[in-house]
Amino acid sequence: MEAFSEVLEIFLSLDNFVAIAVGVLVGVVIGAIPGLTATMAVALALPFTFSMEPITAILLLVGIYKGGMYGGSITAILIRTPGSPASACTLLDGYPLAQQGHAKKALKMALYASVIADFISNLALIFFAGYLAKIALNFGPPEFFWLICFSLTIIISVSGESVIKGLIAACLGIIVSTIGLDMVYGTQRLTFDNYNLMDSISFVPLLIGLFAIPEVIEFYVKKVVPHIKSKAEGAGLSLAEFKRSFGSIVRGSLFGVVIGAVPGTGATAAAFISYSDAKRRSPNKENFGKGEIEGVAASEAGNNGVAGATLIPLLSLGIPGDVITAIILGAFMIHGLTPGPLLFQENLPLIYALFIGIMLSSIVLFVVGNVAIKYFSMIADIPKSILLPIVLMFCVYGAYAVNNSTFDIGLMLVFGVMGFIFNRIGLPSAPFLIGFILGPMFEDNLRRSLLIGANELSIFVRGPITWFFIALTLASLLFAMRRYLITRKENNAST
Amino acid sequence: MKTKTIFSSIYIAVFRGVLLVASMSATSQLYAAEEWPTDDIRLVVPYSAGGTTDVLSRKVADLLQQQGLGNVIVENRPGAGSTMATGRLARGGRGSDHTILMASPGHAIGAAIYPGLRYDPVEDFTFIQNIIDIPNVMVVPADSPYDSVEAFVEAARKNEMTFSSSGVGSSIHMSGELFKNLTKTNLTHVPYRGSGEALPALLSGDVDVSFDNMPAVLSHIKSDGLKALAVTTPERSKYLPDVPTLQEVGKYNLDEFATSAWFGLITHNSFPQAGVDKLNAALEKVMQSEEFDSFISQLGAAPGKQSGEEFKAFIADEVARWKQTASEAGISN
Repeated sequence: MEAFSEVLEIFLSLDNFVAIAVGVLVGVVIGAIPGLTATMAVALALPFTFSMEPITAILLLVGIYKGGMYGGSITAILIRTPGSPASACTLLDGYPLAQQGHAKKALKMALYASVIADFISNLALIFFAGYLAKIALNFGPPEFFWLICFSLTIIISVSGESVIKGLIAACLGIIVSTIGLDMVYGTQRLTFDNYNLMDSISFVPLLIGLFAIPEVIEFYVKKVVPHIKSKAEGAGLSLAEFKRSFGSIVRGSLFGVVIGAVPGTGATAAAFISYSDAKRRSPNKENFGKGEIEGVAASEAGNNGVAGATLIPLLSLGIPGDVITAIILGAFMIHGLTPGPLLFQENLPLIYALFIGIMLSSIVLFVVGNVAIKYFSMIADIPKSILLPIVLMFCVYGAYAVNNSTFDIGLMLVFGVMGFIFNRIGLPSAPFLIGFILGPMFEDNLRRSLLIGANELSIFVRGPITWFFIALTLASLLFAMRRYLITRKENNAST
Repeated sequence: MKTKTIFSSIYIAVFRGVLLVASMSATSQLYAAEEWPTDDIRLVVPYSAGGTTDVLSRKVADLLQQQGLGNVIVENRPGAGSTMATGRLARGGRGSDHTILMASPGHAIGAAIYPGLRYDPVEDFTFIQNIIDIPNVMVVPADSPYDSVEAFVEAARKNEMTFSSSGVGSSIHMSGELFKNLTKTNLTHVPYRGSGEALPALLSGDVDVSFDNMPAVLSHIKSDGLKALAVTTPERSKYLPDVPTLQEVGKYNLDEFATSAWFGLITHNSFPQAGVDKLNAALEKVMQSEEFDSFISQLGAAPGKQSGEEFKAFIADEVARWKQTASEAGISN
């Protein structure tokens, strides 16, 4: 009981409530601006937290993180410009929905899925942190290798019309991802002695270039209003649609939790895996990619499910799973706290106060998100001749701001032109993105496994986790094959 | 004759003009020097936000501001190890009289492994002060059969073993390569992307050993998740007083083994001397403050002891040593 009052003493301060509210709000707004990512917002906010109480500082940063995860989906849906890498998957169905005039429905669904996933993720953090951290430790290079193999099979489900074209795009993405210094030997690959390329291609310029710029080019080439014809009004989300998507939201959240708990995979992969799973289970498979509300739900549940869970390895092991948690780790250290096994022993009341704050942030996200939808959806009403130059400006700024590098602006424009050509020749962009993200993970873990196992292949089947993911990979491939055969049969029958 | 006079009077006029301008600019420089800083100070972090270099820089910037040096703005310029930001600093130009950079082992190692650097890591910079040193710790998983450096070396001479690092060219990696070269052991390097990925590999026993930075492993050592065999600095760390140094082992050529993750401020050669003096004076006060002390104890760090000149000589040694280690390890340059 004494401990409980100590927790309340730490938590019940006006500063904490303000920090959560401001954090989530800032996160949603910054996340919604193309190119300004949650990572950047957290990094920029860090110096302001120096003078705060530790709990207030961490809650502010976590608030921004959660808000940013959701905020990214707003512009992804409205103007096909993902505000954060993790929301790239949301635009696959969110943007077509907006084109059909269902922007509001998509935004609402994204919010509800985000909040539910966030909640589930928080519960996992609070109740299973120790257990999940142990599982995470069992993920060595061979286990990761098979997890990535399984993840690569989702290329099939986001390829759209033609799997061959999807595979071509994915291979191009993998080739682009090899630019930089070799992981093991430090030798240059495709860098042409250019220093800007040695740290490999930066993610944000690629993302903005690939998705946002083609829309801008399309507008000026065609001189017609591009697909956005939505008014923010239109039908909201119906209860039936929400019910239909609920299963996908819960499953997506769980994918997010598991992937978030394992350091080094990230929210983007979680979103795509969740999306691909939802598509496989759905009776409306054909509608995915053309404006399926369940697709929006699954992808947002996947990426927000990660948010609470990435704090698991951070708090229990002191291991940051992504860049944002690395910054939050920095914030802990500035305030004289070292996350890791000792934190739970030495600062338990603080941890519990933090948990209360994190739960509260999910509720705040719901409120702030609803307000944000109301105002942000006005973007859809701005005439495109005014909106698109502004989008372009944000894109240029966003590409620059990640590394303060003008080279990245050029890079973004190059990927923009490439994305435009992709659209024209019918190559899907999503597999390119997946190849770019998963390619290096595939290679790293393959090579690490071989280094650790001294080139013995038996390391790839060393335990139950590897067997599980091998089975999952095979099942996923067989399933895709069967579907392909069935479709071909149907096509043959109908011709 | 007349033309000659005209010319000579023009000469004299020009000469006077030049003198005047020169003296004016000299006064203004003197003025500027006394008045330094006349603008916000930019502290460049050559890595992205969130890492040790970033956290340290933000703290130092905050503490310097409290010393009345005006605004100290932290700017992250990551890229190509730390060589992008450092190369930019070396080029000088506008604003370089108010720009300082937080250098770390990457400064010396980058010179060893990045091909065709366009700057000299020693001669192209003015060294202000070394701020902190973080020891690396030789750690093995808790269930590892080796309890001492001797036992480990003897085993690693007979069997293939692996060590993890946060990436090619990190101080963790280079410490491992140096250890391997000196002790003639069969160690294979397994690179990860960042300490966050490297640490789980060690905790779970996927790799046999690592030479990780103190802050990353300290709490795991205290909670018995990892065993510390030695620290890599010449002196024992006050945070792990029972753990010997590698030099104490006294054999396997380890008597000269000394590595640490050091951090210090450097700047362009054109930086005004008055600025260097003022920064040094401010840093001295900062480093004596309790706030600084409690901050660096979180990092398991020791306050830096080197003045500008000593720091410069130290980096020259580091560059030479890492160049040799890198070439022996077959890492590209």
